[in-house]
Amino acid sequence: MECVITIELGTNAVRVFAFDLNGNVVASAKGSYPTFHIQPDYSEQDPEQIFITMLYVLKNLITENLQPQRYAVQSICFIASMHSVLAIDKQGAPLGNVITWADNRGKREADELKDSDLGKVLYHATGTPIHPMSPLVKIAWLKNNDKDRFAHTSKFLSIKSYILQQLTGEYVIDHSLASATGLLNIHTVQWESKALEFAGIHSGQLPELMPVFGNPGKLRKEYQKSLGLGANTRVMVGSSDGCMATLGAGVWREDKAVVTIEDSGAVRIVGNHVLRDDRRRFFNYLLAENYYVSGGPTNNGGVVFEWFARQFGDFRVPFDTEQIMENLIHEASRVRAGSNGLLFLPYLLGERAPIWNANARGSYFGLNIKHERQHFIRATIEGILYEVYSIGKILQEHRTINSLSINGSFATIPFCAQLMADIFNKPINMVKNLNSASRGAFLLSAIDMGIYPDFEKAAGSTDYQHTIMPREEDHATYNRYFQIFERLSVKLKDEFEELAALQHGAQ
Amino acid sequence: MNQFLLNQGASQELDGFGHIREIGIRKNTSVQLNSLCSTTTDNIRIYYILDGKFEWFIHDRSHILYPGDLAIILPGQSFGGSRGFVDIGTFCWISIEVKHADNSRRMVLGDWSGLSESDSVTISKILQLNNIVVLSKVKEAFIILQAIKDELFQREIGYTTRVNHLIDELLIFIARQSGRQTNLRRDFPEMFTKMEEALRQNLGHQWTVEEMAALIGLGTTAFSEKVKVFTGFSPLNYLINIRISEAIKLLKKPEINVTEIALETGFYSSQHFSTTFKKLTGYTPMEFRKKK
Repeated sequence: MECVITIELGTNAVRVFAFDLNGNVVASAKGSYPTFHIQPDYSEQDPEQIFITMLYVLKNLITENLQPQRYAVQSICFIASMHSVLAIDKQGAPLGNVITWADNRGKREADELKDSDLGKVLYHATGTPIHPMSPLVKIAWLKNNDKDRFAHTSKFLSIKSYILQQLTGEYVIDHSLASATGLLNIHTVQWESKALEFAGIHSGQLPELMPVFGNPGKLRKEYQKSLGLGANTRVMVGSSDGCMATLGAGVWREDKAVVTIEDSGAVRIVGNHVLRDDRRRFFNYLLAENYYVSGGPTNNGGVVFEWFARQFGDFRVPFDTEQIMENLIHEASRVRAGSNGLLFLPYLLGERAPIWNANARGSYFGLNIKHERQHFIRATIEGILYEVYSIGKILQEHRTINSLSINGSFATIPFCAQLMADIFNKPINMVKNLNSASRGAFLLSAIDMGIYPDFEKAAGSTDYQHTIMPREEDHATYNRYFQIFERLSVKLKDEFEELAALQHGAQ
Repeated sequence: MNQFLLNQGASQELDGFGHIREIGIRKNTSVQLNSLCSTTTDNIRIYYILDGKFEWFIHDRSHILYPGDLAIILPGQSFGGSRGFVDIGTFCWISIEVKHADNSRRMVLGDWSGLSESDSVTISKILQLNNIVVLSKVKEAFIILQAIKDELFQREIGYTTRVNHLIDELLIFIARQSGRQTNLRRDFPEMFTKMEEALRQNLGHQWTVEEMAALIGLGTTAFSEKVKVFTGFSPLNYLINIRISEAIKLLKKPEINVTEIALETGFYSSQHFSTTFKKLTGYTPMEFRKKK
């Protein structure tokens, strides 16, 4: 029997799935690796540990699950988190750790570029918002602040490019991951010279560009042998986790959007043209020729609720965060929509879309003497979802959205899913396979193998478990509170800034 | 609570217990300047607060202790009143001599102790690593201290064995409690990160699952399950990931030889390193070093 392997190099872990050719999951495994925060704003990972963990998990999956069931691996497709940067020297050895998407050390570089004329040009050319997350900004930071490393760098890679080089010997990057670097012109699909100039590098210092179906080369013989894979196993460069989570959730028509909420979150749509937003609030990433995934990211998803659970949850049962969150949600469900007028701004980690304000901070607003513990819990969840809705709302200035698909551990909690249906006032499709990114990677492989003729047919194969319908009455309540939420988010700008400065000084 | 003080050399109750330097309860009713200046000894000192509020400076940090709190000062750590005197209140303490203590976190208690060598090493390491000097709400510790006192005074049959057992019990209790209190109200991922840091800082050490689990304050069974769910690996396999990742980094530096890398990253021998490395990567360390 034939199968397809997908490898997702995620934020905290590598997830490996094996699918049969009908898209059923045959086996899956994960292995986690740590993130190091050696200074405030720094977020790094060890490229060698990511590589070894990936190899270990892959090998176990093949020998323990696939070989006993006599599956023959046809192809391996790679997807990875966006925005990572790894500098390597002439010998190909990493110079330090890989800098992840969550790293904010380039704040100053980003701020200066953002409001300049060049910043506007680069945003429209590359589709990537000017933000410390962007590799463009990170490389510029290295140029200005880590001159020694910058001078010794022969290439700047994404973590996926490094892993693929280890496995095949070739330095490559796919179009969609490249389009999240801030260095690729999404209209010409070439490295953007103005961006390279700003970063202080030339195109020879970047991996070779290829479409998402591209093939970097065969697995090295040693890995063929140690993994027990044939020389003909196809290695597919694949795409980014964001683009694949969109495809895998079955979103390929212009009237659909996908909401992903894990620790952080995003609202995304797919279309065959770029969203042009003069206020530069969206990203536009290139999935394939004439296909763009557009939308906005939020920093404050499930991570905020977890913060709340840690502070205010009942920890009589040690270590069981999930049980604690479940209890909290049960309590939240006992009060009415709108939390009796208690509002929560969830900006504990600053915010990206739509307000793009790194200094934004969290706040409970509108407390009165009758508010109780349950109102705080519910307001916290509502605040996180209002923020997500505020991204969806501005997307609707450009595109009509008639239904949503959701994925991610926080968004798929039934209570949260119903709230989103109510807040958005749209039906929500629950996807059967909750790991949409890996399913997206499977669909990519299946298109490549000719199982589906195109993206649309592939996305259409997605099964929906059931649909959650919005409740009119609750929508009306949420809508009234959301108006205030939206105004507060921008009204407090000066106070956010002043307070952030004080907090910074107090550290 | 009646005051008492037994002192090694002066109190006959301590004959045959050379390792107990002091044990006592003291009720302090007035402040006397310079009554508690900072000292460093080679003993383990344990203080339990019965009454009052004490401001102490322990191991370079100041702590405020309330009734029910316990402070443990390890050999080589400094201890004194924050303002140089004994605050008003009542406390109970014991000071225990260790046979040998060195910088590598190893503490050998002596022949009186019934702790196995590995337990004793683990306990001393845990106390050092968790770096917790104050435990709160540990009434159980006082019950043990009281039992030690009663045994010493009453000298009933078997009391020598009982006293030594109780001291062991007290140390085990403190070590377990220190793991639990470090992790109070914190979630597993955060604890895991801390443990991982400890592994990396001392990668050459032959870590056991018991030691790793104790850093988090869990038993080995629960610990192994949690680690498996969280990381996808058993604790020892996760450790191998770290060892091999570090080894790869060192292999990319041509100046270090393979045997040195093996030992530095915690493999028993270059043979053990080579086999594990090849099994995982398909390359021997030497081949890996040559590849581009």
